[in-house]
Amino acid sequence: MTSLDPRVIRLPEIGEFGKIEPKAALDQFGTFEVFVQPAEGKSFQHEGIVHASNLELAFVLAKETFTRRFTCFSLCVVDTREVFASPFTEGNQNAYDLIPEIFGQDGPKVNYEIYHLLKRGKQHIHAGSIQATSPEEAMSIAKSQLNKGKVIFNIWAIRSSGIRFTSVEENDLWFTLPEKKFRDAAEYKGGDKLKVFLENQRNST
Amino acid sequence: MYGGGNTFEGIKTEGLKEEDPVKLAEFEARIERGEKIEPSDWMPQLYRKQLIRMIEQHAHSEIIGALPEGTWITRAPGFKRKMALMAKVQDEVGHAQLLYSAAETLGKSREQMIDDLITGKSKYSNIFNYPTFTWADCCFISWLVDAGAIVNQLANAKGSYGPYCRALDRICAEESFHLKYGHHCVIFLATGSKIQRDMFQDALNRWWPPMMHFFGPSDKISIHTQVLMKWKVKMGTNDDMRNQFLDMYVPKIWELGFTIPDYNLKKNTETSRWEYTEPDWEEFKRVINGGGPCNKERLEVRRIAEERGKWVREAMKAPKQKYVTPLA
Amino acid sequence: MMRDLALKELLYKMADDQLVLGHRNSEWTGLGPLLEEDIAFSSMAQDKLGHSLALYTILHQLGEPEPDKVAFTRNNNQFHNCILTELPNAEYDFSLIRHFLFDTAEALRFELLKNSSFEPLAQVARKVRGELRYHTLHANTWIKQLGVATQESISRLQRSLDFTIPYALGIFEESPNEPDLIQSGIFAGEQELKSQWQMKVELIISQTNLHLPDWKLQAPIMGGRSGKHSEHLQPLLDEMSEVLKIDPTAEW
Repeated sequence: MTSLDPRVIRLPEIGEFGKIEPKAALDQFGTFEVFVQPAEGKSFQHEGIVHASNLELAFVLAKETFTRRFTCFSLCVVDTREVFASPFTEGNQNAYDLIPEIFGQDGPKVNYEIYHLLKRGKQHIHAGSIQATSPEEAMSIAKSQLNKGKVIFNIWAIRSSGIRFTSVEENDLWFTLPEKKFRDAAEYKGGDKLKVFLENQRNST
Repeated sequence: MYGGGNTFEGIKTEGLKEEDPVKLAEFEARIERGEKIEPSDWMPQLYRKQLIRMIEQHAHSEIIGALPEGTWITRAPGFKRKMALMAKVQDEVGHAQLLYSAAETLGKSREQMIDDLITGKSKYSNIFNYPTFTWADCCFISWLVDAGAIVNQLANAKGSYGPYCRALDRICAEESFHLKYGHHCVIFLATGSKIQRDMFQDALNRWWPPMMHFFGPSDKISIHTQVLMKWKVKMGTNDDMRNQFLDMYVPKIWELGFTIPDYNLKKNTETSRWEYTEPDWEEFKRVINGGGPCNKERLEVRRIAEERGKWVREAMKAPKQKYVTPLA
Repeated sequence: MMRDLALKELLYKMADDQLVLGHRNSEWTGLGPLLEEDIAFSSMAQDKLGHSLALYTILHQLGEPEPDKVAFTRNNNQFHNCILTELPNAEYDFSLIRHFLFDTAEALRFELLKNSSFEPLAQVARKVRGELRYHTLHANTWIKQLGVATQESISRLQRSLDFTIPYALGIFEESPNEPDLIQSGIFAGEQELKSQWQMKVELIISQTNLHLPDWKLQAPIMGGRSGKHSEHLQPLLDEMSEVLKIDPTAEW
């Protein structure tokens, strides 16, 4: 191909202009939800999704997709299908009011991560962990333990063992992030150069 | 990087009569109160359709927008510029990722959107159909096209659809580096040698007309759709956005001693509006419809990239995995 | 003095490797197989540029010219990168295999340098460990994914692996004064690095359907460390410096 871009000139010629092989609808691989803990001690919050073939690759891809620009202490990902979501509410209605009370279910208890949406349009934020036999029961228990007066518009319950967390030794993944100044707006100060230029302009006229 | 423009032409609102009036009223009241709409909420078909179209075009503009600046990625002068341009073009790809994901929450898969881009079914920002002849063209985009996009994106971030707003909040935060970096590059050209100054002046001459097109046709000729304003899908008129951009950046360009190639360009002190030679809207239409200098190349590059990556994506389909619509 | 010479050899070859491969990998930006991977690959290319800048900065402190000058104005016979890094990108299977083989070696090299007697280098090595952790996590995850997935992905990776191994062995080409490096405790040496690298590569490849060739039958492709390069390096350098050379005295 002729181009001003040397990379494009080097591209191989394949296929035909404007043509792609027909594909089935939704012919794609899995979806994973991404959560970021911006600093030590702060809560995890939902940031978005990546598409990947498995949990480990989702973690690898989420790391640069969501934590290359702003501070990050820890990252975790989970298959979207693992997220159990409550109905959405609005106005003064608390989503927990729609959660039925469930008591004494049989079976082994496992850990669930509970996320709350405190404002429509914002992200879901981690509210705490609950031991329960099912996501329904986890929400029901969260209703008494984590529901602290604020209106919550949506609740997520995620089985902790389904989540790919950042391991302790992986915490150094973001070690040099603050030093990557070339991505930082504050690093591009042209003011001094501009000032000298403007003064010279003024003096020469 | 995305401006207004061709998104909302020819909208048919007849279908609205078939929507449930009670649900429609609740939906409109929610927007009126300033609350966001989330993917699982009820929404009129027209809202869903127009949002998909807009977010998709925005996403395409990011991934195609990576190409004109990408043209200089292997040639950026010096470590500092080289690393910054890599990071900037990378951000554009990142923005595409965020925007495709936001559009996916409305029920269209990324794959389908990219197919529609390649076959020409859906559009992207017209400005990326122009070539970057020199390093200075690349600097023009980094500074001024991004500046234009920020004007547009800040407005859209106040829209009604939650996932789009969240993506835009993130994008706008990242763009601040682009804008500063771009301005920094141009200051260095402006205050540098004659060769450097001339390079930028030439780039400015080339890019000014597409920059004026960037915000879309004049309000005098573009079709206003009241309902999309009411639903906070479209957040400002094309002329308002253009005026805001001129207000913020014309003085900065003049400050550097460059000449903007429009002798009618001036601010009317009474109306506080900028006056300028009417951009050539026929040219704008011609380029949108495929007649620009780089339309063919941009789509061809995207298609080849998709074709070359197909074996990787095929190998990522695992029997246990299944595509699902993102939650938020 | 001998120690200084050996040290500069080491710094130059590491810095040149990272610059040239970072440049090559950046060519994928916006053209990658998947948006998320496009982003990840670009970040690692940026990291490589950052590593080369850090190493050129140390060289500058040792009396060599400024990083921009060193990186953008030398000719190919003055570069000490291994030939592996300068080869054109070809298809993603090659780029990924090269990334896996090179970054595995790079991560181990920096690991060895953490306790270097030359403190400035030891500091860099300690600082970038997290970045290299990511690079190897990324490479290993992809190799393990694509190395077992489809017939096409397995055969593509296998072909690239067979092609790349002799070049990858060129990473460990020894510099003339290497014994001084080892004696003065600056670096454990290429042979030590190579044997660690082979074990690591074997460990990952053994978790896939790919096969490593017999190491004993492989002839390393050398020359890069002494400035003897393939026909691909000079065009790369010309392209990299095209804008800068319009006005080499200007600030860009």
